[in-house]
Amino acid sequence: MVNINDAISTGNKKIEDETRRIALLSIYPGTAYYLPITYAISGLQVKDAASALNSYEKTGKSPLIGSEILVASRRSEEDPPYTGFIEDSVIRKLGYSLVDGSILGLALIVGKPDKSDHASAICRELQEKLMLTFLAGEVIESLVKDGIKVGLELRLVPLGRSSLMAVHFADILARVAMMFGGVTPGDAQRLVAYASERAKAFVIAFPGMSDQEIAFINALRILGIPVLHMGGYEGDAFIKTDSDAIVRTGMEMRGIKVQVTAIPIPMACSPAFEGKAIRKEEMYIEFGGTRSPAFELLTKSDPKDVENGRVKVIGPEVDMIPQGSAAPLGIIIEVAGTLMKKEYEPVLERRIHNFINYGEGSWHSAQRDLIWVRISKEAVSDGLKIEHLGKLLISKFSMDFPALIDAIQVTLITDPEKIMPVLERARSIYQERDERIAGMKDDDVDLYYSCTLCQTFAPNHVCVITPEHTALCGALTWLDGKTAYEMSPSGANQPIGRGATINANTGEFEGVNRFVRQASHGEIERCALYSIIDAPMTCCGCFEAVAMILPEANGIMIVNREYKGDTPSGMTFSTLAGTIGGGAQTPGFIGISKGYILSERFIQAEGGISRVVWMPSILKEEFGSALIERIEKAGLSGLYEKIADEKITTDIGELLVYLESVNHPALSMTSLI
Amino acid sequence: MALKALDIYKLLPKKNCKECGDPTCLTFAMKLAQGKSDPDACPYLDEAAKVVLGASTRPPIQKVIVGMGTRAFTVGEEFVFYRHEKTFYHQPGIFYLVSDNESDEKISDVARMIREDYFTRIGMDLRLNGVAIISDSGSPVKFSEAVKIASLKGEIPLVLIASDPTIMEAGLGVCGNFAPLIGHVTEDNIESFCNFGEKYGASLLLKAESPDLLTILVDKCLAKGLSNLLLDLTGPMGVFVQDSTVIRQLALSRKVPQFGYPVFLDVSQSGFSGLITGIVKFASVIITPPLSKPDMIAALVMRQNIYTDPQKPIQITPGLYQIGTPGRSDPVFVTVNFSLTYFTLQGYLEATRRSCWLLIVDTEGMSVLTAVAAGKLNETIIKDAINQFKLADEVDHGTIIIPGYASPLSGRIEEVTGWKVMVGPRDAAEIAAYIEEELK
Amino acid sequence: MDLTYSPGWTTSVREVVIGATSSEGGSRRISYKIGGENDLPFIGNSGHKPLIAFEICDDPTIWPEVVRSACRDLINNPADWAHHADQELNADLIRLNLTSTKKRNFSNYKGIGNTIKQVLASTSLPLIIEGSNDQDIDSEVFQQCGEAGQNERLVLGTAEAARYRSVAAAAIAYGHIIIAQSPIDVNLAKQLNILLREAGLPDDRIIIDPYTGALGYGFEYTYSTMERIRFSALKGDLDLAMPMISSPADSLTVKEVREATFTDETAIAWEVATSVAAALAGAVILVVRHPGTVPILKDAIDQLKHGRGGI
Repeated sequence: MVNINDAISTGNKKIEDETRRIALLSIYPGTAYYLPITYAISGLQVKDAASALNSYEKTGKSPLIGSEILVASRRSEEDPPYTGFIEDSVIRKLGYSLVDGSILGLALIVGKPDKSDHASAICRELQEKLMLTFLAGEVIESLVKDGIKVGLELRLVPLGRSSLMAVHFADILARVAMMFGGVTPGDAQRLVAYASERAKAFVIAFPGMSDQEIAFINALRILGIPVLHMGGYEGDAFIKTDSDAIVRTGMEMRGIKVQVTAIPIPMACSPAFEGKAIRKEEMYIEFGGTRSPAFELLTKSDPKDVENGRVKVIGPEVDMIPQGSAAPLGIIIEVAGTLMKKEYEPVLERRIHNFINYGEGSWHSAQRDLIWVRISKEAVSDGLKIEHLGKLLISKFSMDFPALIDAIQVTLITDPEKIMPVLERARSIYQERDERIAGMKDDDVDLYYSCTLCQTFAPNHVCVITPEHTALCGALTWLDGKTAYEMSPSGANQPIGRGATINANTGEFEGVNRFVRQASHGEIERCALYSIIDAPMTCCGCFEAVAMILPEANGIMIVNREYKGDTPSGMTFSTLAGTIGGGAQTPGFIGISKGYILSERFIQAEGGISRVVWMPSILKEEFGSALIERIEKAGLSGLYEKIADEKITTDIGELLVYLESVNHPALSMTSLI
Repeated sequence: MALKALDIYKLLPKKNCKECGDPTCLTFAMKLAQGKSDPDACPYLDEAAKVVLGASTRPPIQKVIVGMGTRAFTVGEEFVFYRHEKTFYHQPGIFYLVSDNESDEKISDVARMIREDYFTRIGMDLRLNGVAIISDSGSPVKFSEAVKIASLKGEIPLVLIASDPTIMEAGLGVCGNFAPLIGHVTEDNIESFCNFGEKYGASLLLKAESPDLLTILVDKCLAKGLSNLLLDLTGPMGVFVQDSTVIRQLALSRKVPQFGYPVFLDVSQSGFSGLITGIVKFASVIITPPLSKPDMIAALVMRQNIYTDPQKPIQITPGLYQIGTPGRSDPVFVTVNFSLTYFTLQGYLEATRRSCWLLIVDTEGMSVLTAVAAGKLNETIIKDAINQFKLADEVDHGTIIIPGYASPLSGRIEEVTGWKVMVGPRDAAEIAAYIEEELK
Repeated sequence: MDLTYSPGWTTSVREVVIGATSSEGGSRRISYKIGGENDLPFIGNSGHKPLIAFEICDDPTIWPEVVRSACRDLINNPADWAHHADQELNADLIRLNLTSTKKRNFSNYKGIGNTIKQVLASTSLPLIIEGSNDQDIDSEVFQQCGEAGQNERLVLGTAEAARYRSVAAAAIAYGHIIIAQSPIDVNLAKQLNILLREAGLPDDRIIIDPYTGALGYGFEYTYSTMERIRFSALKGDLDLAMPMISSPADSLTVKEVREATFTDETAIAWEVATSVAAALAGAVILVVRHPGTVPILKDAIDQLKHGRGGI
């Protein structure tokens, strides 16, 4: 057992002594970077022993530099398979693979493994996981004896006979940083940043190293490179793990993720199967619908509680369930990830529907506790089990959300008793979510979100989405916009800092104005979020409904896309849509989502819902009690009946007569124009 | 600066009398805001309001009609600098230029080409627009004879070019009733040409040394009540692009109303490239020596493309189309009637050299993704198409292949139609690989 | 009378250098600066003259018929073909399309490395290389391209949102320029540029390809997208302030060209029309395939560049 701290101080001293004693040093051929580690850290171009010593002193006797000097001065021809110093032209190739993703990261293995240390298994695992592994020390001999082939092409690079040859690992890292990372020689800070962010590396240290070697390996930690071991070292500097976890731990520590490409189940999966239904005659079992309890739930969990890739089935499997019957199904997905957030839960949960439908022999409908799932006889006879659905979900989620998901596990409950308490818990979580969104107010947040998805058709249009004002297409809520932005920061949804309030009533804010000005290339100067007359929001063409003023009635009429008939304005929906769309800002007219009509912010500046004098009966019916509730809540009892529809009239003159006869509030409000 | 609908409404009488032809004053105001109506249509508007409205609601570029009858065409009435801001409304007229020195046969030939030749694509006939005759001979008689042959009794629009009023008068003598475009109007002949404009209703082609001098000519014509004017910006290609750009910008901003007239370009010197430049950069009447067939077709297609309304994609007529010579066992691909989708898919299918059927359904011109999202591509539409175009009579296999992005519909389509549904690739480029792997 | 108009531009298109002469570390006889405009195309004096790139390929089996018959034996030897385009056609640069990589189960990576070296030896004009567009072989193909053209500051195509890592890697590792292609959508073009920047590519090594639809088959979508990109760039959007390339792949296989009576003239008319219009929308590299197009297009570009008070 070696005490790391002791070894480090002894080792550093030894490095210092020996460095001071070097007499001769010649530069490496095939490189434009002198002694690369020294060059990268200090900017000094070492060409001989004198300049070497000089740089060692100048950098405060850095053990990285000292070791590099020592190795360079001792240079002797390395015989195969050892590579010794590797030339720039080869490094360029490696850098290419690192940037293009065919290499995920770098590993360095040093020391001398005992037979039982599974060095070969570790190397095989690293190769499978697309890591580039450098080897220095007796580990190389040990591998070769074990029948493992080494070489650059095999991504197991045998640097040299002694562990100190790990210096070449570091000089390769330094050169990659200078060649592709834009690190200027001498900019040590950027070198460290590059090493941490782009060239993700870790060290696996077997025992059997000299103090000098330990001191050098320890110095690598300055570059953010952790050192792991399986035993033989005492102290906190190196991290101890088990041999079968060491590669995984190293990769997890550096945030290196292996890409999932295959779905390991006996059923074909593809978006092409999305619409394929499974009829009653074709099904083996069904879950939910109305025949049995079923639900799906995805939650963010603590990494400690999630075992990546684990699928558990609680209750009977397919072989225990009679064909043609219904069984309960609880799909519980637990996700852990540093970038994962609770708000993303519903967004990811919605994907369960798509993923299960991708299966050729699986079908899924609805969501939450209303799901209905079937698997086909054909799939089951091909070997499909319920646990495979779990594997499918794990693979698809990992493939589609690699940045968010560090670990994911699935539990499938088919036991009728065990499912009930979990179902209750799921229901309370759904309710929590609904309450969270329903309660959100514009004033609660500082950031709104933009959407430019329809700019293809309306180059200057930008939607401003707030908690109380959904996108005009009806598809995106503020939460959706936020999630989309956080998941893909360079996408169509961008944050808008609200900024100072210019007019709280009309909803005009400095930050919003600034954003809209820029996003519309200067076309739109101001945008008042809650007004229909004063600088209203622009529209593209995909709004669900149009609200426009009827000046004669001193009110607002609303017409939705589905209504094809005449309106008191004299224009049909499609005529209106053609006129106000295309990114124009048209005072008196706004394109909106149907849901926005129920928002308290709907034409707040002009007095809100009491202005509404007309809307098609199908729209009124669609809203039903939700509209009545909204009206009651605003203290406008009776307004619902006073809002006219096409059954009453589509002529403006007749509408006025009607409004007077029912004493519609709009008539006595302040003049709209 | 153009007024918005609400601002215009404030100036109107607000009687909703419907005498302008619109159901309400607000509707009329909206039309005015788009330049799609005239303030004069309102009988109750006071003069002051009319002036304010007229200045800001009439199209920034004057509408001019050249020629008469079925081949007359309209230019001007443009509102934008970039087609993507809304659309370009009136495509340029392309005229073949002949000299009065040329033989009668030649002139007659050119006129016949204009009258008869056309090129059909995507259900539209693309035609050239008229003949331009230039006086090179210096002889009024020769000019008038050439004009007579070219005019085909007014069947096709004409451009007459002779700066000498005597020669022009001779030409107008034989075709003046046919609303030709006459030029060049310059400082020297403006009096006479204005008289021609009044007498014959001809539109005037103004020419000056530089754009700013054109404004003087415009003012003079306007003073005489003549507003059917065109501005000649003929020059080297680079100069034309710069002048046409500035003039369009100043016209649209209404900063220089004298530039609010359609642009004329003669590409005799700059050739085919000049013609393309003119089509793309705002020219409304372009005259060119007769073109080779390949050049003519390319120019007409460019004109069709640039002047397509970006918000109204071109649609293909729904139906059952053939690629190669398909028989009863060949595959059936179903897709939307957006022209771009059709052509892209057709191209890739033809390249595979495998005969097959292409069933185009009516999604009102929407692309696959849009149509699926909007519910326009659905099982009912496909069922109707299968029945309407009697697909069952043409193939035995009872299978249709739908676009990859329509996969969510596959089950419902099978249920409703009784046909088996295969899901094709998402990208048309993958169709060859798909056919090889799935349809052996 | 004030006849000036100020559109309110705040930014210029970035300048990109393509090709490397011996003093710049390469072996091209000329290197070009592209981009740099501070106004709309051909307005004012800024920017440089658009360049004409003649395109050749290494496997002519899928090359348009009309070009195969126009170029005859040249199509069987990329080096000779490139030399001809350089010396006889006077193209400004050459685009080498590695069509051999489109074949099923392609694996002749060394072969394309050699082809590139041969072409680089046979012409001293800057080179654009269009590699594979298949994720499975991209890594090896672009490694070859990057390495074979080391120091020559090649233009490598084509990076797309779903597969850009290998092209980016080759550009970063070997000092080349990238063509970033998006499907005729301004926002997707912008996003791709951001992705490339995050991958480590400097902004002045990107050329935007908004994907050029053939004339009659979607060209107007490209035209408007290019206008919008140029407009956004001049109005200050730095993520779109890169030079653009027009490289219509399908021009010469459209129905009108294939079925024409005069196929060569129609092919040339199609290419000239597309390229002139693309240049008017802001494209600064115009890729053509028919030899007859080059002289006509050169003349047109010269004429366009000589405006009032111009060069």
